[in-house]
Amino acid sequence: MMERLSRRFVAVCGLVATAALWPLHLEPRATSSRLPARTVWDSVYTVSQAATGEAAYAKTCARCHGASLGGHDESPPLVGSAFLANWNGVPLSDLQTRIRTTMPSDSVGVYERQLVTDVIAYLLKANGFPAGGVALPQDVEPLKEIVIQASRP
Amino acid sequence: MPNALGSIRPSSLAVVAVFAAAASVSAQAARAGKTSPTRGASAFTTSRGEWPSYTGDTRGSRYSPLDQISAGNFSSLEAAWRFKTDSLGPRPEFKLEGTPLMVGGVLYATGGTNRAVVALDAVTGSQRWVHREDEGERGAAAPRSLSGRGLAYWTDGREERILYVTPGYRLIALDATTGARISSFGTDGVVDLKTDIDQTIFPDLVTGEIGFQGAPVVGRDVVIIGASFKEGTAPKSYKNNKGYVRGFDVRTGKRLWTFHTIPKQGEPGYDTWLNGSAEYTGNTGVWTQLTVDEELGLVYLPVESPTGDYYGGHRPGNNLYGESLVCLDLRTGAKKWHYQIVHHPIWDFDLASAPILADISVDGTAIKAVAVPTKQGILYVFDRVTGKPVWPFEETPVEKGDVPGEWYSPTQPIPTKPSAYARNGTSIDDLVDFTPELRAQAVAIASRYKLGPVFTPPSVSKVDGPIGTLARGPTNGGSNWPGGSYDPETHIVYVASSNAAPAVLGLVHPSKDRSDMDWIWGVASAQAGGGGRGGAPLSVQGLPLFKPPYGTITAINLDKGEIAWQVPHGETPDAVRNHEMLKAMTIPRTGQPGFLVGTLVTKTLVIAGDPQVTTLPTRPRGAMLRAYDKATGAEVGSVLLPAPISGSPMTYAVNGKQYIVTAVSGGPYSGEYIALRLPTDAPR
Repeated sequence: MMERLSRRFVAVCGLVATAALWPLHLEPRATSSRLPARTVWDSVYTVSQAATGEAAYAKTCARCHGASLGGHDESPPLVGSAFLANWNGVPLSDLQTRIRTTMPSDSVGVYERQLVTDVIAYLLKANGFPAGGVALPQDVEPLKEIVIQASRP
Repeated sequence: MPNALGSIRPSSLAVVAVFAAAASVSAQAARAGKTSPTRGASAFTTSRGEWPSYTGDTRGSRYSPLDQISAGNFSSLEAAWRFKTDSLGPRPEFKLEGTPLMVGGVLYATGGTNRAVVALDAVTGSQRWVHREDEGERGAAAPRSLSGRGLAYWTDGREERILYVTPGYRLIALDATTGARISSFGTDGVVDLKTDIDQTIFPDLVTGEIGFQGAPVVGRDVVIIGASFKEGTAPKSYKNNKGYVRGFDVRTGKRLWTFHTIPKQGEPGYDTWLNGSAEYTGNTGVWTQLTVDEELGLVYLPVESPTGDYYGGHRPGNNLYGESLVCLDLRTGAKKWHYQIVHHPIWDFDLASAPILADISVDGTAIKAVAVPTKQGILYVFDRVTGKPVWPFEETPVEKGDVPGEWYSPTQPIPTKPSAYARNGTSIDDLVDFTPELRAQAVAIASRYKLGPVFTPPSVSKVDGPIGTLARGPTNGGSNWPGGSYDPETHIVYVASSNAAPAVLGLVHPSKDRSDMDWIWGVASAQAGGGGRGGAPLSVQGLPLFKPPYGTITAINLDKGEIAWQVPHGETPDAVRNHEMLKAMTIPRTGQPGFLVGTLVTKTLVIAGDPQVTTLPTRPRGAMLRAYDKATGAEVGSVLLPAPISGSPMTYAVNGKQYIVTAVSGGPYSGEYIALRLPTDAPR
């Protein structure tokens, strides 16, 4: 009954796709449904990239999310269990897209892809994921293959 | 076993028609046979299965007497329909906070990044109409953008209207049947809220900072509108526009009254702003929900902080009506009484929750009370006619800080009853203590900060410590805009709260191009530009700095002024449950930081959603909507939703079926309203 109702709803309403820029993974992600090639535990950024990202964060993001990444008021924390819970099992490409298409909230879309990627490297460092010898790439496709995993595999 | 909605595919909903004048056939059919409403929204009530106001009624209750969904069947709830809000705006929104209304078989809600209004069939979810305003630069400059919290419904028995405030601060009146503007209201259905406000909004009407993201409230044909601003931690200036509150005629849009939340010269309270600071200080609006007592003809204003959340040196004095509860005559705006809950606000303890009206009985005496949940986790309870505390508040001496230029109140009022329902100070005892090693690391982190009880003042941030005052919240602690619920039968308030939002109340000198304030929120850095070592995350090995419970739901008996029960709310976060250092331990459910958790109370249940997603071995990733036995706090059912529950749930009944609707969004998941109901074969 419910399945039928829902399908009808989809059929009636789902006629126009959302712009391709935004990810459409609208179902709960079962972590077992897709085995990632790599996770954020696989040393996917460099220390110097994270430092670049930290400087960019302090200049552009800290005014709302706080110098300690703890969030404030309407800006969610970017470190710790709440952040990791929201993004657990999600590829880094989604995080990059989310930041690029919604931040900063008062002038969306002004951050360049490289800056956002460097800030993500800083967030990975701040959340305790290991650094390595190769910087995080700014292109979407390779970021789709790196999944955020809250706990060490 | 919790129920999962995972098998039902949500859709990216297309906007099928704008201004479609589709006749609301089923809505009218649903109304057939009902008595015609006679006075405002009160003719439709939760007692008839409607949800005609943001909190169900205008009293802040979030209560419905519906009982079809019960302890025995809650876990069998299924999706009746789902509505993605992506296409209502130019881009998807990841922070959907709305609570819909339901009147006459039609559900009304806000959605989309530019705050559109949509009317849906309450049974099928199919769209009847959508209304959008293109505000261009004015909308883009809004201090509070996105979809907002909701709207108001009004009827005189003939006309039906939907009222809402756009991001650009314009009050819009719509025909509830078609979604078209009511041309006789204001100017072609619009009242420009940046005008006729007893001040000149600077620098201009397009970019002038003032807005409102809450839902309007209507009582006795008066629609009342508050005001909100950008976040106040680091304002560009100690001068700003003022957040006056106004009442408008719901038929014509004519302004009936303006209440000066910062008194003008010659008005009572002006002298609480020393050095003439009432002239230039701004903010001090009401950004959360206002509450109306239609019987008494009164409106209750929960007022926010003046300009500068954590530094008040530019506004010495107690600063009325900052962080005060103010009671006005609904028709005239004349002040009946006020009580300042925080003197000289410097903690961002905005009154953030809708005041709750409660007719209680204390030691055999009937009292018409009003109760206010707060960010500091204290429920302040007043006689709502006289403004006197039901249980005495003691003016308690508090620490005087040493920030150069700051003015300190020597005392703050603290109720003798009920006791605080959330932890609101910081001490070594509060730090994580799963193991001695973790406690030691937490103590090492905390040693770089100043700790203390609630109302410990912010401090100047120093690179070598203290980096600032370590606070719990205050912005993200206790309770916030989702507020609480009230059961009129048992006289119990239910409120969710957070214990686990560490925040550093540090102050730094801003650069001249950033702000003309002497001090703004921040932490000292050895490097120019901020950040640096002062910005170390406030967690221990990835675990929250404070010990659990991280969030709770509390039942407070208002006849006794006592906590009846308190339970952790929310699944233990993945980062805690799966932590390497805790694998050998059995950790009771910790709850989740819950300052944005809304409660709904029904005939038998308290219903609230998890604010974070989790993944368990027994179920896929998602967030639970939970039901508790309202008498005991025992969890009696749950249902899995695909994303954090990000708005307060509401409930209604149509054609004999009860529905629960809630907003979900967050992280990678864009906004969606999900309607739940029982399957046909569910136990009753």
